[in-house]
Amino acid sequence: MPVGSVLFAFVIGALICVVTGANPIAAYAGLVCGGLGIGCTQGENPALQISNTIVFFIPLVTTGVAVALPFRAGLFNIGAEGQLLAGSVACCAIGIKFADLPAPILLPMVLVGGMAAGAIWAGIAGVLKATVGAHEVVTTIMLNYVAQWLVRFLIVGGPLELAPGTSKSHPIGAGAQLPTLLPADNSVIIFGLPASVFRVHSGLFIAVVAAAVFAFLLWRTAFGYEIRAVGQSQKAARYAGVSVRRTIVLTMLIAGAFSGLAGAVQIAGVDHNLTDKFFNDTTGFDAIAVALLGLGSAVGIVLAALLFGALHTGGAIMQSDAGISSNLVLVLQALILFSIAANFVGAIRRGLPFGRRASPELPTELPPAAGLMTEAAVPPPGKT
Amino acid sequence: MGHKRLRFLGVVAAAMVFTLACGGTTGGGTPTKTYKIGLVTDIGGLNDKSFNHLADVGLEKAKTDFKIQADVKESKSGDDYVPNLTDFATKNYDLVIGVGFLMQEAVGTVSGQFPNIHFAIIDGAGTDSKGTDLKHSNVQSLFFKEQDAGAMVGVIAGWLEKNGKAKKNKHVVGAVGGISIPPVNHYIAGYKWAAKMEDPSIQVLVGYSNNFTDPAKCAGVATSQINQGADVLFQVAGGCGLGVLQSAGKASVYSIGVDADQKDADPSVIASALKKVDVATYTAIKNVVNNQFQAGALTFEIKNGGAGYSVDNLDLPAELKAELDKIEGQIKSGALTPPADIPA
Repeated sequence: MPVGSVLFAFVIGALICVVTGANPIAAYAGLVCGGLGIGCTQGENPALQISNTIVFFIPLVTTGVAVALPFRAGLFNIGAEGQLLAGSVACCAIGIKFADLPAPILLPMVLVGGMAAGAIWAGIAGVLKATVGAHEVVTTIMLNYVAQWLVRFLIVGGPLELAPGTSKSHPIGAGAQLPTLLPADNSVIIFGLPASVFRVHSGLFIAVVAAAVFAFLLWRTAFGYEIRAVGQSQKAARYAGVSVRRTIVLTMLIAGAFSGLAGAVQIAGVDHNLTDKFFNDTTGFDAIAVALLGLGSAVGIVLAALLFGALHTGGAIMQSDAGISSNLVLVLQALILFSIAANFVGAIRRGLPFGRRASPELPTELPPAAGLMTEAAVPPPGKT
Repeated sequence: MGHKRLRFLGVVAAAMVFTLACGGTTGGGTPTKTYKIGLVTDIGGLNDKSFNHLADVGLEKAKTDFKIQADVKESKSGDDYVPNLTDFATKNYDLVIGVGFLMQEAVGTVSGQFPNIHFAIIDGAGTDSKGTDLKHSNVQSLFFKEQDAGAMVGVIAGWLEKNGKAKKNKHVVGAVGGISIPPVNHYIAGYKWAAKMEDPSIQVLVGYSNNFTDPAKCAGVATSQINQGADVLFQVAGGCGLGVLQSAGKASVYSIGVDADQKDADPSVIASALKKVDVATYTAIKNVVNNQFQAGALTFEIKNGGAGYSVDNLDLPAELKAELDKIEGQIKSGALTPPADIPA
């Protein structure tokens, strides 16, 4: 029960508040107001808070899927961040190079380009796993660094830099930008604020479709069955005629495409250029928590991404309204992850019969985090 | 099995969620005008021992002097700049302060959306995505004459060389910049100008690490300068520059810190060139409280106490102190003007 993990984290978070002399009720009221726009007392605009939460929610869903899919094949993709960055870079490069093309041509180009770059980035790890058995945890982590430094190289004195010392790229062309849901116009007043304040953009639909595609692929296609077969037991899958190597490579390619799409959508929908914020972006790492908390199901990922998006947005409000450092949010996120990793989930699922029914697809004796351990013990495929 | 205990924990948590849903009623108005000031840090956070910390110091000082409500939001990532600025703006804050040039584009965007809210940005302007100043009538840029601060530490370096009080006394000093951009070069310009004024036979080595964050890169440039005989090194490279201070410490030569007082960074730090972000923040708040907000650039220099120097791990000789006071007075009076561009 992931809900138990979340509650566990919030109880410990409340204890931390109390012990440090802060008011946990005020803290959580600030979080709820900031994240969901409910019960605001200090003049926050509820619509704006929800809009901000959705902006953070969008990339978390798509990268969450990119972690969850390999997970079903028994692969631990720590590289969603690197794949996201690769997608951002490709989107930016294309969006700058062909800035004058009209949106119907350029927008698909930047999104598909981002997917392709993410797929290649993850595909490297997939091919290495399938051929020489290099562990994907190690290779994807390393590829994260390569991507981060590549971004640095490109925009700090590199070919994409706007001007020396600016540490950001040129903006992408207008045709490469995803439209916001509300008009990006300072003079139109909606919900009592200039409409351009609401940054929620049409990438929302892309994220929801990505989650749906993930569910369809996994449960309604032959390839999805192969992914799950490989994830349950590589030996059994091989015995049943499934090519384990092909499944591993394809799974990583698709996962990378999802992450790359997340990066492209972030550039096209929100940032419109590569900036130094991507040096320490953590979306792809939060995605691991989202995928684990969502138990690797599409609905679960959407809900978990909503929680993490709301926590992110709520943290700043909590700091200004309740005077409690927004670092508490990071503590809460870490505690959620900790309680999952520490197997509270499994313990509860074993104890409660309805937990079993809620997610029949996961082997009860192998909760998500344990997958990493067992996978590490499995010899590289194709060597036996 | 511990699930019963966990279930109990869950019940407790659920109860807490319900109580918090009913709680959270605070606030209440005050009859007289309380100015609301919002400060948004960049990703360095309040404990960066530099810009963000100093901005908060200025805010705290303003809190004791004026009737203001001061709130701070720490940005966890670049994604937070716009939402944090926007939140203060939607709540009708009287002044929203962004710390650092990283927030230029965010301030440009949000100030356009809220033309009735006053914004101030330290070391930057409200720009569009191409870095062009939008010149919004509600944005004040708080800039610094870095060359003033650079000149003061340049006096120290030049005086030590001329009077044989440095470690090697080969009449060679160095400056390590991050990237060759205006604020960095202003510091170095003042430093080189003043060092040459003190000691005409001095050689000032200038190098760039092309980096603001990696101490190893700056350490490399510093070591090269030390090998060329430099025994006073001025770092103008942010976090990267810590490598300069440490390299100087290892080689037993002197170093000079930048932006904030870097006395504690390394025992080799004899002085620091200061950008007084606290003074700038305080002044911006004071102007708003006195109804004197002005759009455009407000420059902080030695004359108005917005730039200066600190003497750190050095017993300052009386003659040097006198020289520093003399030069400082001349810069204040306008008799001397440190150059903005690095002299030949």
